[in-house]
Amino acid sequence: MKFRAKIADAACLNHFTRVSSMVAKLAKTCTVRISPRQLNFILADKVASGGVSMWCELEQENFFSEFQMEGVSAENNEIYLELTSENLSRALKTAQNARALKIKLTNKHFPCLTVSIELLSVSSSSRVVTHDIPIKVIPRKLWKDLQEPVVPDSDVSIYLPVLKTVKSVVERMKNISNHLIVEANLNGDLNLKIESELVCVTTHFKDLGNPPSASADASHGRDPEQMAEVHVDIRKLLQFLAGQQSTPTKAVCRIVGDKVLHLDVLHEDVSLQYFIPALS
Amino acid sequence: MLKCGMNGSQVKVFGKAIQALSRISDELWLDPSEKGLALRSVNSCRSAYGCVLFSPVFFQHYQWSTSVEMNNNDTMSNLNCKLGMKSILPIFRCLNSLERNVEKCTIFTKSDKCKVVIQFFCRHGVKRTHNVCFQESQPLQVVFEKNMCTNTLMIQPRVLAEAIVLFTSSQEEVTLAVTPLNVCIKSSNEESMDLTNSVYSEMFVGPDEFDFFQIGVDSEITFCFKELKGVLIFSEATHAPISIHFDIPGKPIALSIDDMLLEANFILATLADEPSSESSPQSLCLSQKRKRSNSKADKKDQGRGVHLKKSNTQKALS
Repeated sequence: MKFRAKIADAACLNHFTRVSSMVAKLAKTCTVRISPRQLNFILADKVASGGVSMWCELEQENFFSEFQMEGVSAENNEIYLELTSENLSRALKTAQNARALKIKLTNKHFPCLTVSIELLSVSSSSRVVTHDIPIKVIPRKLWKDLQEPVVPDSDVSIYLPVLKTVKSVVERMKNISNHLIVEANLNGDLNLKIESELVCVTTHFKDLGNPPSASADASHGRDPEQMAEVHVDIRKLLQFLAGQQSTPTKAVCRIVGDKVLHLDVLHEDVSLQYFIPALS
Repeated sequence: MLKCGMNGSQVKVFGKAIQALSRISDELWLDPSEKGLALRSVNSCRSAYGCVLFSPVFFQHYQWSTSVEMNNNDTMSNLNCKLGMKSILPIFRCLNSLERNVEKCTIFTKSDKCKVVIQFFCRHGVKRTHNVCFQESQPLQVVFEKNMCTNTLMIQPRVLAEAIVLFTSSQEEVTLAVTPLNVCIKSSNEESMDLTNSVYSEMFVGPDEFDFFQIGVDSEITFCFKELKGVLIFSEATHAPISIHFDIPGKPIALSIDDMLLEANFILATLADEPSSESSPQSLCLSQKRKRSNSKADKKDQGRGVHLKKSNTQKALS
């Protein structure tokens, strides 16, 4: 098993650092999947995360100037590693003014992902910084649980409003109750509802637009005004929103009534899918 | 009696010194003398000591007078003022806004009253007065000849600050490894490598990044990270380079900032190299401060340290 990659472009490095900070906010421990064309950050441990799962995907050639990997075997040319997300994001943050960044799989006293950074410095000698991030290699037999989640046939899919606005609304709602109702229809309406004994608060978003439905038959014949709803733990939605540090290029929300809230965002060329289960 | 005054920007530097010393301990000695006003602190396990001495020319005005009558009791002429950080730190909070708003700050105290009065004369005629009670306690100071160290480095604080960013605050200890060719700052190996969380980081700095680079003996010393951060906080305020003096593991490391107006010394104990060493750094050699007098006999006394804590592997410092 081998892996070595290099980022030589400052913009790519900043983007990669931002992606890793976002992942660190969404999952304390995550799985990194390295394949010849892609890099994925995966959270699939449903028990530990309370049912939430995450799939983040990026095309390696958009970031790395050099990328060499050799998976577990020729038929299974992939590497699955587990690490503490914050360790990676912190290490990348130290590469603010780097000339180049190299990542490679090493085995010093135990398996590590070694990030080595060549910093620009005032004097002629450049400074070299190395971080050895401890990792756990995930055995082949557990890979089946870490595959890309199937996008469920949703009752309604709708474009999300400005995430900053949603976040400030949801933050305040959290003070009232943890039980959030998310409902939307095919007319571009999205409502966030929260209830307590004393008060019931609803925030209405209108004219959001609905993406063209993949399975046209599912929504065919559905009354555009009819709301599909799902009840979720507000803290999980808040955690997702807190991880979005910049405005995404595209943000879609899919509701599978009483089952799951599926959030699908695109940050330039990095796609992130976040699944929040319905409250039972 | 102590009476001194500062303007807004001087208050900022003074406040930074207090913040830096708060990383070492929860208590602070205010120790005025003819040499100036010294702020001192020592941590509870006696492994870190900090002292910032502001010379009289640092202040707008500075006056220190001891009681007229001669006492046989040596300790009377020291102020012996120990303040809790909890009392004094909040007074010097928001230093940037203090720098902007404060026109004059005065510090006044009399040893017989056990109280320090700090007044801020701010813009728009606002006057803020703080009365802080102090505990009577003789200040401690460290006996350490930093100029006798074989390794000396002088570096701009910015470079050290960049290195510190590498380490997370959960890092207890940091190792400085030097050879005549380069300097490496790295995570300490002492803690057992816990698979779940500790990232091992290291940074190499070439000799040309230092203002002064003299390595007499290859050495790897380990000391507390938290206290190093304290030194950096203060150095940002003074813009003067930091001098680092050290030797072999077990002997303390001294970080100093010396400019014309003030002199700061942070002395940290380092882990000893021996296999039988304790997991905590060695204790520093501390002495009770004696009254300054012209008598030669008293001056000799100042050199001898009172070891406040003895351990099996402690090395003598002087």
